[in-house]
Amino acid sequence: MKYKFIALGLSGIIIAVGLINITVGKSINYGIDFAGGTLIRVIFKNQVPIGEVRNALQKAGIEGPIIQEMGNTGREFIIRTLQDVSEEEDTQNLESHEIIGQMVVDSLRNEEELKAVEQGIPDLNNINLDHLAEILEPEYPERASEIAEIIVNHRKSSELKGIIQDYSQLEELEGVAPEVIDYLKSKTFLSNVAVLSRETVGPQIGHDLRRKATQATIWALIGMLIYIGIRFKYAYGVAAILTLAHDVLITIGLFSLTNRELNLPVIAAILTIVGYSLNDTIVIFDRVRDNIKLMRKADFGSLLNASVNQTLSRTIITSGTTFLTVAALFLFGGQVINDFAFTMMIGVIIGTYSSVYLSCSIIYFWKIIFKPKKGMGK
Amino acid sequence: MNKKLRWKGLLVLAVLGISVYLAIPPGEKIHLGLDLRGGMHLVLQVMTDDSVRTETDQQISRLKQSLEKEEIAYDSIIKTENKVGEFTVQKISPEKQGQVREILDDEFREWSYRVIGNNINVTINANTATYLRDQAVRQSLDTIGNRVDELGLTEPTIQRQGLSGDRIIVELPGVENPDRVKEILKTTARLEFRLVKGGPAPDRETLLEEYGGDVPANMEVLRGDPKRTEGDFYLVSDIAEIVGEDLRNAYASTDEWNNPAVSFTLNPDASKRFAKLTEENIGKPLSIVLDNKIQQVATIETRIPGSGIIHGRYTREEAEDIALVLKAGALPASIKFLEDRTIGPSLGADSIRKGLRSIILALILIMVFMVFYYRMSGLNAIVALILNIIIIGGVLAYLKANLTLPGMAGIILTVGMAVDANVLVFERIREELTQGKSVTSSIASGFSRAFRTILDANITTVIAAIFLFQFGTGPIKGFAITLIIGITASMFTAVFVSRLIFDLTITRKRKKKDLSI
Repeated sequence: MKYKFIALGLSGIIIAVGLINITVGKSINYGIDFAGGTLIRVIFKNQVPIGEVRNALQKAGIEGPIIQEMGNTGREFIIRTLQDVSEEEDTQNLESHEIIGQMVVDSLRNEEELKAVEQGIPDLNNINLDHLAEILEPEYPERASEIAEIIVNHRKSSELKGIIQDYSQLEELEGVAPEVIDYLKSKTFLSNVAVLSRETVGPQIGHDLRRKATQATIWALIGMLIYIGIRFKYAYGVAAILTLAHDVLITIGLFSLTNRELNLPVIAAILTIVGYSLNDTIVIFDRVRDNIKLMRKADFGSLLNASVNQTLSRTIITSGTTFLTVAALFLFGGQVINDFAFTMMIGVIIGTYSSVYLSCSIIYFWKIIFKPKKGMGK
Repeated sequence: MNKKLRWKGLLVLAVLGISVYLAIPPGEKIHLGLDLRGGMHLVLQVMTDDSVRTETDQQISRLKQSLEKEEIAYDSIIKTENKVGEFTVQKISPEKQGQVREILDDEFREWSYRVIGNNINVTINANTATYLRDQAVRQSLDTIGNRVDELGLTEPTIQRQGLSGDRIIVELPGVENPDRVKEILKTTARLEFRLVKGGPAPDRETLLEEYGGDVPANMEVLRGDPKRTEGDFYLVSDIAEIVGEDLRNAYASTDEWNNPAVSFTLNPDASKRFAKLTEENIGKPLSIVLDNKIQQVATIETRIPGSGIIHGRYTREEAEDIALVLKAGALPASIKFLEDRTIGPSLGADSIRKGLRSIILALILIMVFMVFYYRMSGLNAIVALILNIIIIGGVLAYLKANLTLPGMAGIILTVGMAVDANVLVFERIREELTQGKSVTSSIASGFSRAFRTILDANITTVIAAIFLFQFGTGPIKGFAITLIIGITASMFTAVFVSRLIFDLTITRKRKKKDLSI
């Protein structure tokens, strides 16, 4: 409690910096969920410098794509094409995005491949199971589908990650004879790039998702408020809300500062943080309530202090375990879930800090400012 | 006391048993979401304006006939631009106006009208329009369902978004050829057989030259599909003799030159009409039109009874796809894709690996920590934790809910948060012990005093999760559901199961003095 002024001041500064950055500076980066647009994940056969990817896209006339390297292999990239958030009802938009999506993929192909595609030679890296079986059928009528399955399964294994770099990678496969590989060499080619996922969100849906996310957040906050209102006194409710607002503002501020994109999983993470931070706050308030009965003679400030200290080990342990698990997710969960894990990670830290340092400080100042006649117990 | 413990023990074993039974083997019992399994998530919008427009066209031609029959002179009938379901009959001679109103009153009850000078403006009633739009979405749902069935995709989800919306959500796990599927879903597949009255001509102007540049009555200009024909223009009858609904079956086949083609058979009623039509028009050309594009123009050589073949320079796959959409039925209105997320199987597999790795790592970290910090009681918490994860698996399998990547994150988070209940209890017990209470009473009051806090603390997270579930899309729903199950289960495991374990160990031990915590 002796750090209450420092804590309030520090939080104030961080929130201010975050808000200034959002309003005046970079603002919030909406992901395709909210802004609409196309997001494509690709993997290349060989390492490709990010600049080369950008050049290829620019040559194809795609303006201002956001390109991000995925993992550390230098072969995987996320490409997002920009689109203005337009409010007008334009149903053609998605189709134009599909065309852009195809342009992106085409622009990443090299000349040899484009020739092969034109000649109708199938691409072993993008071929589906049935089609591959069909190709194998004339030469290996009995084992065609079996061989096709082995190859397709191998292609999506952790080792290859969706792209066969060289026909020699099929050699060690059981059930695929060298003749089969030779046969495939003559009938197919290996493209230089494979598409791992392609997501396109039209502006209407983006608009919709933004509305839904806002609704979910507001209703969840109202729900929690009602619950606290039932279980605790008014002052605690206000303190809890201020603490929550603090957590959300700081999280979004840091999010903006680190240049990450706001998308649906991040909203989910923020809401979870809200629930989580409230959890910590409630544990402390519960203790305060207990102590008001037990420590009648103590002054309010030291009572609050005692309550925070009594619950401190619990708060730290729980936050610690949660932080450990989220950190595991952040480090090993992969790129797809990375923004979510990042939000959770800062959220856990902020949530814990605010519960310990802020929630009781607010109660304390409430008592001083409003001097409630009935006291603070319930 | 002992009897009570035995019952509690049996209850826990039963929960464990049921969960294991439900969730094993997990590969089969737990449904993976599209983001883990790979597949397509599409949101389609049914352009319901189309069906109102079609209805308007039909009613206009009905009105024209009525006016003709009653010999009522008028200048023209013009559809309102940018607004479906509205048209104006222009310049009706004043003395006949009453008669027109009579016709509208009697025969067009679903339409209302306004007289403006010599013109009458006719608008479809709001209820009727709503009904037409709703029907269009329902029919589209059916048709898309049929097409997906014909494609033979497993476990598809096709549902309307909201009760009265014009959007349809289609989820197709494990799709291997997303572009083909989208093409098939999008095709309206309106098949028509129409008699050809003029053409071919290289462009519209040449075609209409002999008619003075105007399209003659009861005729329409259609163009050959550039992919299937030379792309020439034809003048065709505006009446479709045979339509898609008349088909009994359609299948991909080959023609006499062994090129891919689509064969069809007609239902009995249409067979008769087709036989009559071909008999009366021997030597004349007939066009086969799909979605307003001519696929083929052929000269009728003999009377054709109930079946035929369409050869429009198809590839084998195209022939298969066209047969498929013809068999599945036409869409009542065109559709647009509003959202399209396609996740490849290798990305999904990668996510599963990484998700599992994170879960296992998180579990190990927590276990090590709990044993290190709470010693033997830590083991107690670990048992509770493992039981918790098994219960999550069981409930997920029971609810047939999808496990998504954020869902896996939810499990990881639960692992971190579920021990919270244990921590709250253990900390209380430690406090009671330091105050010098006996082991038994410390445990009892530790649990009872911590319980209210545990309840309060967890309910807030559950509230957040419930609203996430309510408003979220697929992957987020997965997160919300694992979080809800995990937290609820943690109350059971951390409070009920842990207590049981404590009680069991204490009754076993003669010495009740020391508790490893």
